[in-house]
Amino acid sequence: MPVRTLNRLARIAAAVLLTAGVLALASWQLRFILQHWAVFALLLLLAALVLFFIHFEKSTLSSREVGLISILATLAAVSRVPFAALPSIQPTTFLTIVSGYVFGAQAGFMVGAVGALGSNFFLGQGPWTPFQMLFWGLAGASAGALGKYFPDVSRVGMTIFSASWGFLFGWLMNLFFVVCFIEPLTWSSILLAYAASFLFDCMHAFGNVCFYLLLGPSVIKVLQRFKAKITYTESQVPG
Amino acid sequence: MLENFCYKHKGAFLQTLHPVAALTYLAALLLRPLIFNHPLYLVGILLASLLAAVVSDALGEWFSYFTVGLWMAALVLFLNPLLCQSGETVLLSLPSLPLIGRRFFTLEALCYGAAMGIRLLGVITAFALYNTLVHPDKVTGLLSRFAWKSALVVSMSTRMIPALARDLAAAREVQQMRGVDFSSGNLRQRLQKYGWLLELLLVSSLEGSLQTAEAMQARAFGCGPRSHYRHELVRPRDYLCFLSGLFALLLSVYARVRGYSAFSFYPKLAQPAAGNIVLFWFLMLMFCLLFPSILAWGWQRWPFLRSRI
Repeated sequence: MPVRTLNRLARIAAAVLLTAGVLALASWQLRFILQHWAVFALLLLLAALVLFFIHFEKSTLSSREVGLISILATLAAVSRVPFAALPSIQPTTFLTIVSGYVFGAQAGFMVGAVGALGSNFFLGQGPWTPFQMLFWGLAGASAGALGKYFPDVSRVGMTIFSASWGFLFGWLMNLFFVVCFIEPLTWSSILLAYAASFLFDCMHAFGNVCFYLLLGPSVIKVLQRFKAKITYTESQVPG
Repeated sequence: MLENFCYKHKGAFLQTLHPVAALTYLAALLLRPLIFNHPLYLVGILLASLLAAVVSDALGEWFSYFTVGLWMAALVLFLNPLLCQSGETVLLSLPSLPLIGRRFFTLEALCYGAAMGIRLLGVITAFALYNTLVHPDKVTGLLSRFAWKSALVVSMSTRMIPALARDLAAAREVQQMRGVDFSSGNLRQRLQKYGWLLELLLVSSLEGSLQTAEAMQARAFGCGPRSHYRHELVRPRDYLCFLSGLFALLLSVYARVRGYSAFSFYPKLAQPAAGNIVLFWFLMLMFCLLFPSILAWGWQRWPFLRSRI
């Protein structure tokens, strides 16, 4: 059997064993986990963030890709600043989505996550940082999946996608606030907390749609041209 | 705007720590408000972080975080009784509203809201200390040992933010010179104007990224093991602060598991009197958290101690 197949088998076996171990541990201490579900949910979210970064570490990376991802993340971070006065309207989500759409899920995730982390070095790190990193990263990664499976997505489709991330980002960020600071949790209290942020989520979605409609097609064109430029190779035809 | 929260080196004792020691200490400061809900512990942690800010000459930064945190804490304080209807002591009952029905303000929910507000302040001030005590490069330097690609992207991006912000301001000024008024027009027009700026910046910075890539290639990026420019010193102060942070973390987890820090708000507030055992654990934990601040104070005042650590 070739070494590569063996390696893959070993990896699958390790993953299955690990999952079995975690499940066994979970069923053994199910009551304890259910009692402290908020902490475990938090750990699970952080583990997801770490897994994305591990995946990035494992990939082969050229200097051009490093330069590209860092400059896009920088741009996503800097673009938060001039819009700080307008609540929830930030082109960061838009930039992350178009980067993911053009350069793939991994680049999209890194742009969102690093953009959130980098901008918070200047705007203030807080308990919100890992969540912003994860959710903006997910916006980029899902845009990457969209670009992969629906490369010819229409303008309307992309607008709906951007708007839904405006709401989704706010709802996911609310989750962290609600879980950590409101007790006991009931449906009506959750509903009220979400109603309180509804206006901001609408603004975020509105901003995303505006940015996409105003800039989307041209920015995507610029990025696609740049992608062609950095992946361009010349092959010598023999004879 | 960018200079408000970013790290400024003031030569304070806690700023000279090795990142592992500083992060362990800050992790202890952060974990405690997250896992405790006893008001005594919550207030104690807030005081410990305030003292650390005072000895590091970071009171200004701490205060700007504190004011933001205060607004959020006030929001939690008032939202909690409104959202949560548990508790036996009703202070105020609001008239019936459509959709949400009748609402009661209870003392227990108000106290829980206050405790959560202090918890939020504790968490936020721990982050304020992180911002003022730990240089971002030290953290990325530490991360680069485990995940050098991610650390490289993060440090490059963080380094480029001020430069790109300057470019953005310059581009904005050029546009203003050409007659674009960024403060006029409706929301759509304003977004359009900022959009042009963004597009301009995108094109120029993408070209810049190619130059960065060439410079990296010229410095043999990806060939052989990573080289380091800076090595962090490990001094006795790092061991001391690391150990006190570690002890604080372990003791907190132990106290939480054994229930020494438990406090029940619902359905009726528990007796506020602190038992001996609660007080003992509280003092132990406070000593661990205050130790680095005491050391910092000694380091400033006592040359002998300064030369030893």
